[in-house]
Amino acid sequence: MMKKLLLLAFFLSFAVGATANAADKTIVLDGSTTVGPIAKSFATYFTRKFGIRVTVSESGSGNGAKSLINHTCSIATLSRPMKAEELAAAKKIGVNPVAHVIALDGLAMVVHPGNPVRSLTKAQISSIYRGTVTNWQEVGGPNARIVVIQRESNSGTEDSFKELVVGKGVQITRNAETQASNGAVKNRVSTTPGAIGFLGLGFVDRSVKSVAVNGIAPTIPSVKNGTYPVTRPLYFYTDGAPSGPVKQFIELSKTADGRRMISELGFVNQ
Amino acid sequence: MNLGTRKILDRSFTALGIGSIVIMALALMIVIVPIVTNGIGALFFTGTVEHRKMLFHEFKRGDSQKLTEESASAERYRAKVYEMLSGFEAELETMAPEKKREYQPKYTEVRTALQALLGPLPGDPEPMLTRFKYGQTRWEKAEAKLHDLLYEVKWDNSDPNVMSKEYFVSRAISFEGTSLVKLFPYVENNISKMLLPEFTFYWGFITDSSVDSHFFGGIWPEIQGTFFLAVGAMLFAFPLGVIAAVYFTEYARPGFFNSMLRSANSTLAGVPSIVFGMFGLAFFINTLKVSESKSVIAGALTLAIMILPTIIRAAEEAILAVPKTYREASLSLGSTKWNTIVTVILPAALPGILTGGVISLGRAAGETAPIIFTAAVSVGSAIGLADVFSSPTPALSWNIYNLASEHEAAAQIRHVQYGMALALVSIVLLLNLSAIVLRARISKKLKG
Repeated sequence: MMKKLLLLAFFLSFAVGATANAADKTIVLDGSTTVGPIAKSFATYFTRKFGIRVTVSESGSGNGAKSLINHTCSIATLSRPMKAEELAAAKKIGVNPVAHVIALDGLAMVVHPGNPVRSLTKAQISSIYRGTVTNWQEVGGPNARIVVIQRESNSGTEDSFKELVVGKGVQITRNAETQASNGAVKNRVSTTPGAIGFLGLGFVDRSVKSVAVNGIAPTIPSVKNGTYPVTRPLYFYTDGAPSGPVKQFIELSKTADGRRMISELGFVNQ
Repeated sequence: MNLGTRKILDRSFTALGIGSIVIMALALMIVIVPIVTNGIGALFFTGTVEHRKMLFHEFKRGDSQKLTEESASAERYRAKVYEMLSGFEAELETMAPEKKREYQPKYTEVRTALQALLGPLPGDPEPMLTRFKYGQTRWEKAEAKLHDLLYEVKWDNSDPNVMSKEYFVSRAISFEGTSLVKLFPYVENNISKMLLPEFTFYWGFITDSSVDSHFFGGIWPEIQGTFFLAVGAMLFAFPLGVIAAVYFTEYARPGFFNSMLRSANSTLAGVPSIVFGMFGLAFFINTLKVSESKSVIAGALTLAIMILPTIIRAAEEAILAVPKTYREASLSLGSTKWNTIVTVILPAALPGILTGGVISLGRAAGETAPIIFTAAVSVGSAIGLADVFSSPTPALSWNIYNLASEHEAAAQIRHVQYGMALALVSIVLLLNLSAIVLRARISKKLKG
């Protein structure tokens, strides 16, 4: 009998959590791993300040767009604008994606910190990713094979990189290794001496070295004024004009607190 | 075959058996030992005064008077550091412009390293993100950050044909001749007085929510999410599975259709779990719309479908293992078929059915792929029973992956990753142990 009571108490303790936490509505965010840190910090802040629960998934920009089209998220986080075919698919079933730029991001080209290469031109990066340059020696580095690291097809960062650097529709070398998130790319580059990869600016830390592109280093000022050549906006997408808590959540990026969070995370305010 | 060869064959077979067991045990050790040792490190560690500050401010836990005293004593030692900093800043102003330009970036690095070690310095604006509000909360991390403060990493690229090699230069040397040179030995000698390390048992790691995407705090939402998903899956799969097994063993007529169904069931047991995940997304969320977004219910249903074949198989085997004589005795006493199944066969088969059930429960708790698209999120608060129909949840299996690979500071929160892995392994182990105990107890009851 005692045991059954204890068991009951155990289950009840879960149920009690329910009533204490129950909010009227949950804001569900889904999408980019690049926007992930911003989304997660906003979520924590928002829940603490307004008591509205916010959940964040980092499954990639492509998945974010799909979730928005399927009505399974309130805000899709994308590190690229929606593609024409995604917009068409949305229109077909009556979803009207509205873009909100929340921050700017520079796509940092990162190498192992032991790599003496300090600067690459866009053309050099492009030839590395097309597979015509395969040794660091050809771009002013030591005699070592280049380990090319790219992102998966679902990634908005991959799309931005292709569009801004190698050109749309250009085949990236088949020797390129694919990693599924910014974190995974950082981890691979920091442990592989010959590696090159690309990361959102907020993910760059001392474990990797970012190289200058066309002689300009990816820094907050150079991204902000657009001199860094690989700059892109980060988006929140909603179905139609947002209202209520969702609107409030998006407008966080314009408030002083929101802007502080974005810059503390290493991203760039507009 | 003569006796000699037979003996040799016999011995070599024994050796092979022992060898494979040893290899298995070693593999298990290699996997389990780091999980256990590092995972325990999430609960038991040497915590600094920053950890106690964090607990007090974020969770309102701890002795406020003791904390005030500790902070005051730590602050007394820190004050000297701050004094040296402002002294050097004043000195910087009096320097020749080119010298100032040389020292400024180096000084910024020192400040950053000190911020990482001790938290915001006087004059810094109050950070928005909790991760920057406190210094190092764990002593072993503080020691690493101290090293960053004392030594600068440089890369030796004297040989242009190979990758540069890492080496360390003492920062004290690069500040030779300025007032800041005294800072480095001072911090090195008084670091423990500034951080007051003491042995900490952070039980809140199990029961707290995470603070600022797992930089601080615990893993309760993940544990709870795992519990909801696994139990939810069981609620759907267990009754269905047992009923299906009864049908297969007692009612279905042997024939082409029946054997097709059985082999379909066996095939389903071998389908990769990610396929179930995609199916769950396409069917439960996009087609049936069981919930508006990912949700616990959608995840639980997906997991239920994944474990259903295993439960059916286990229940079938258990029912078939009931001696024929039981059934015959019951029927000869005039009992109906249905009555025989409910009162004689199922109770006798119960230990086997339950074992299958609990092992499936463990599998449901540990699976990642089926919940990626149907239930799991990287950040979310603990949910209650009322929210299982509408809210997604963090869950251990998915969040271990998320923190280890996707998180922006994965390398800084290794202890949380290991803590989660240990929690998951313990949950699955407990479930399997309870299956063994349950089976033993029921068998004893049936015999007695």
